[in-house]
Amino acid sequence: MPQVEFEKVGKSFGALAVMRELSFRIEDGEFAVLVGPSGCGKSTLLRMLAGLEEITAGEIRIAGRAVNDLPAKDRDIAMVFQSYALYPHMRVVENMGFSLRLRRAPKAAIAERVGAAARTLGLDRLLERYPRELSGGQRQRVAMGRALVRSPSVFLFDEPLSNLDAKLRVQMRTELRHLHQKLGATTIYVTHDQVEAMTMADRIVMMRDGAIEQVGRPLEIYDRPANHFVAGFIGSPAMNVLPGRIRAGADPAVALDGGGVLPLGHVPSLAPGRAVAVGIRPEHLRPDPDGPLLAEVEVIEPTGAETDLSCRCGGQPLMVALRDRGSYRPGQTLRLAPHAGPVHLFDAETSARLTHPESMIQEYDDDRHETRNG
Amino acid sequence: MTRRRDMAVAFILLLPFLAIYGVAFVYPTIDMVVLSLRKAPLIGAGEWAGLDNYVRLAGDRLFRIATRNTLWFVALTAPASTVLALLLAMGVARLRGWLQAAVLACFFLPFMLPVSVVYLIWHWILDTHFGIAQPIVAAVAGRSVSIFRTVSTFMPGVAFVTVWATVGFSVLLFLAGLRSIPQETSEAARLDGAGRIALFRHVTWPLIWPVTALVLTIQLISHLKVFDIVYLFNLRGRVDETMSLVQYVFRLAFQQNDGGYAATVAVAILVLVAVLSVLQFQLLRSRGQ
Repeated sequence: MPQVEFEKVGKSFGALAVMRELSFRIEDGEFAVLVGPSGCGKSTLLRMLAGLEEITAGEIRIAGRAVNDLPAKDRDIAMVFQSYALYPHMRVVENMGFSLRLRRAPKAAIAERVGAAARTLGLDRLLERYPRELSGGQRQRVAMGRALVRSPSVFLFDEPLSNLDAKLRVQMRTELRHLHQKLGATTIYVTHDQVEAMTMADRIVMMRDGAIEQVGRPLEIYDRPANHFVAGFIGSPAMNVLPGRIRAGADPAVALDGGGVLPLGHVPSLAPGRAVAVGIRPEHLRPDPDGPLLAEVEVIEPTGAETDLSCRCGGQPLMVALRDRGSYRPGQTLRLAPHAGPVHLFDAETSARLTHPESMIQEYDDDRHETRNG
Repeated sequence: MTRRRDMAVAFILLLPFLAIYGVAFVYPTIDMVVLSLRKAPLIGAGEWAGLDNYVRLAGDRLFRIATRNTLWFVALTAPASTVLALLLAMGVARLRGWLQAAVLACFFLPFMLPVSVVYLIWHWILDTHFGIAQPIVAAVAGRSVSIFRTVSTFMPGVAFVTVWATVGFSVLLFLAGLRSIPQETSEAARLDGAGRIALFRHVTWPLIWPVTALVLTIQLISHLKVFDIVYLFNLRGRVDETMSLVQYVFRLAFQQNDGGYAATVAVAILVLVAVLSVLQFQLLRSRGQ
């Protein structure tokens, strides 16, 4: 049975509908990440699940039970807030044990549970401190400890890492993931950071403007973005999108508006002349003397592990991420080909995905081999 | 170097204040203490009296009554007003937008009225002949009572009017305190399983304790030196039985021209305010930790 289900859930303020008919389910023990740009409604959705925000349409179910009219305190949910929301007048041990104290758990039991959570999170030595005496990372842990102590049916995280510095963020990311593997508790995590979504999620729920754009496993979404928007949001640097038209002729190909012809694999249903947007991830482009794309290098950004080339291709910006350091210079022209991965096709108007990519990589590469061999 | 310059700038900026503070406050305070050691009219040298005035104070029946009245007034106003202000603030905090502003304005309006107007309003409302609240008084007491002409009801009456007139300011302070509690903190408590009462007891109340201490201290000090409202309500009444400490000073200094003794009573008030404030502050601070 899915642990959390959203069925046609909506939210409106008076006549203004900010969320319409959202439906998805999260399985027991899954780590789900709600991701999207600021204002897409992901935090609101989380708060609706927590009972902090009213649900104006549809139904939310936890373990099969509709919770729409259940007050927050009775939903058996623990939440870690972006600001941590620790009780400033309570010591760490009181912060963590507060929920148990409210439930009138015996003192010994509270001490035991708090102690166990503190050991898991490495907070043993900080139990007597007040939140103001802790660093950001330590507060973050206390907030997690407070959630952990309760062993709730669902853990919620609302951008818990965004107030930490970059290094700590990466470290906490791993720790959180590790913790989840250990506890196996159903977790819903909200973030605007696609890296967090990709690295942590079992399942990503991609949102925009109060609607769900795509739900899927991270690599599924990376490999088969449902539309232009998802393609641009997931992956860094963002996917290149070049406008073009399906070329008439025997071999399916796209004539790019900026010049150049990009051969495609088998694309049966697209009428010649149809306007499309071609998506190619920067990390899938490679220099190739026979490549169909002619680009001029504008800026070179070496990150050490890879070299990002910010180029221009027929008037369109084009990012190229190369694993080698090469010897590139501004003003240089490069021929590029999408070697390492699929070419994505999106409808120019609706921006929806048009093809399954696997066939295209396959056939494109086969094409290349044939040309080379022949 | 810059530190020395900072000091110089600070001194120049503070100078006007320091000058006025010295001339209008520090000097008169010292002079008051000196005056309390003399038998002298308000203006004029008089003669040295040593501790005579303080000896007189110890046996002064009117001083005792005025002290009792003042402390009684503080006891009637400060706690009640603080609790009421907190309740009102929590109510107002639940409202949103223009409604909140409107309700808040209603509570704050009396605070902006001149004391003389407050006096007239309640003098009329509670008038034995035509006061619109007199039927309520009659219903409670069994007969019509002239609140401000009865010694036993005088202070409670004035205290009631004072709370009515000044509670708005405390509401404002509490509201600011409530707003400084992050919404997420309350939400976290709700998710932790706190209902309304537990939320108030374990989160809201401890977090606004500093504001409560502030409100109580402000009221303690301002009500210990109560004068105008008491003076207005006991005009042509039994002043001896109902006057406050500051009113006693006023009478001694400006109606009986007994400057030396008036200064002595004033010193006594100063000591009383200082002792009670420090005591209360310490008490509240220990509670807050």
